Amino acid sequence: MFDVISSTLPFLLDGLWMTFKISLITIFLGSLIGVVVGMLRTLDYAVITYPLAAYIHALRGTPFLIHLYLVYFMLPATGISWLQFEAFPAAVIALSLYTSTYVAEIVRAAIEAVPSGQTEAARSTGMTALQCMWHVVLPQAVKMMIPPMGGVYVIIIKGTSIVSVIGIAELVRAGEHATQRHPKELMVIYGMTALLYFAYCYPVLRIARWAETKFGSVRLPS
Amino acid sequence: MTNETPIVVVKDICKTFNIPGRPPVHALRNVSNHVAKGEVLVVIGPSGSGKSTFLRALNGLETIDSGSIVIDGVELTAAKANLNLLRQGVGMVFQHFNLFQHKTALENLTMPQTVVLKRSQSEADEIGRRLLDRVGIGDKDDSYPSELSGGQQQRVAIARSLAMNPKVMLFDEATSALDPETVGGVLDLMKELATEGTTMVVVTHEMGFAREAADRVTFMDGGEIIEEGTPDTVFDDPRHERTRSFLSQII
Repeated sequence: MFDVISSTLPFLLDGLWMTFKISLITIFLGSLIGVVVGMLRTLDYAVITYPLAAYIHALRGTPFLIHLYLVYFMLPATGISWLQFEAFPAAVIALSLYTSTYVAEIVRAAIEAVPSGQTEAARSTGMTALQCMWHVVLPQAVKMMIPPMGGVYVIIIKGTSIVSVIGIAELVRAGEHATQRHPKELMVIYGMTALLYFAYCYPVLRIARWAETKFGSVRLPS
Repeated sequence: MTNETPIVVVKDICKTFNIPGRPPVHALRNVSNHVAKGEVLVVIGPSGSGKSTFLRALNGLETIDSGSIVIDGVELTAAKANLNLLRQGVGMVFQHFNLFQHKTALENLTMPQTVVLKRSQSEADEIGRRLLDRVGIGDKDDSYPSELSGGQQQRVAIARSLAMNPKVMLFDEATSALDPETVGGVLDLMKELATEGTTMVVVTHEMGFAREAADRVTFMDGGEIIEEGTPDTVFDDPRHERTRSFLSQII
């Protein structure tokens, strides 16, 4: 069994590295888009909010696998040159858009959960809508975003396993290759794969928990 | 009270709230009023009389359907771009304090100064500490709102408004959410501000305060001004039946 572990671990670590890269880029881009979309959704302009609502509901209401096929197989079929994607960018684009919808809803809900009196007080001192958002609403909304955001990030990290269907050698794919070489050691190989996911996801959840206690509670006077 | 041009001139303002599925609510019907520099105007009336809507219209928190509001020569309803600038000159104290929960008492005072008035941090700190002393809680500068009593929070809120050097201060039922034992202290503070010459518009249910601190009392009901005059005439010799019945219920 030790032989199996030592011979497959390097491949699995390569897979973990790919999972790590895809998930980090996705989480970064998805959060960036999501924060902007979520903030815009709280505005009072139907011209902005309706198209964004359509975007969010369309992506959340359909399976990610379809988005991936759409970006990887169907967009290139249009023949338009800038819509030809390799597997890696296709995975990143599809996953980032998918992530952004969940982040956007978290951001919108958190912003709307800040009592309207905070905005009224800020505006009545003469702050602009933007100053009010930046100095008063967002700092309070961020505290409410942290726990659900940690959850979404972990789901995205584990969700990257789906991109193996377009041939990206991430952790699950690497595990499958290893099982083909050692068909009798399925338990060991899948066990290692699961452990590696856990080793990545658990710290993310711990960091979210730490951030929650750091930013989420009232600091006592020193 | 002086005879200069009034700081606040309100002319024929109307406001109707349209809630789908319910009859429209006429919160303000052709309300006109004015506040001179240094004057204390107290607005009284039953719940739903439109007095809070009137007050909130004065700094644009509530938009109006028609009429005009002029504050220190600037038309509030004219250009939207001026609204932020105009609000700097109109302090607002809320029933529920609305202190910034993520800031300490001192930061609640300094943040709007540095953000809106572009004062330096040290200048804002100095003004902030002086005003916290002024409202009687100089030792609470490091406390967060959740660590303060209602009365202390309202003192911070008053100081936060004062820090912006407002031309007029609006008080929207500032003592209605307070514990009985802290009401008196906040009212005393408001009386001090009044005697120091602060221009104030006060919506309140505290008739004792109205009688003592007001230069003029306006009684509103059903979105209209029913009666106004000096505290003595309104309280001791009300001319209208609605005023009489309101006062008999409340006093």
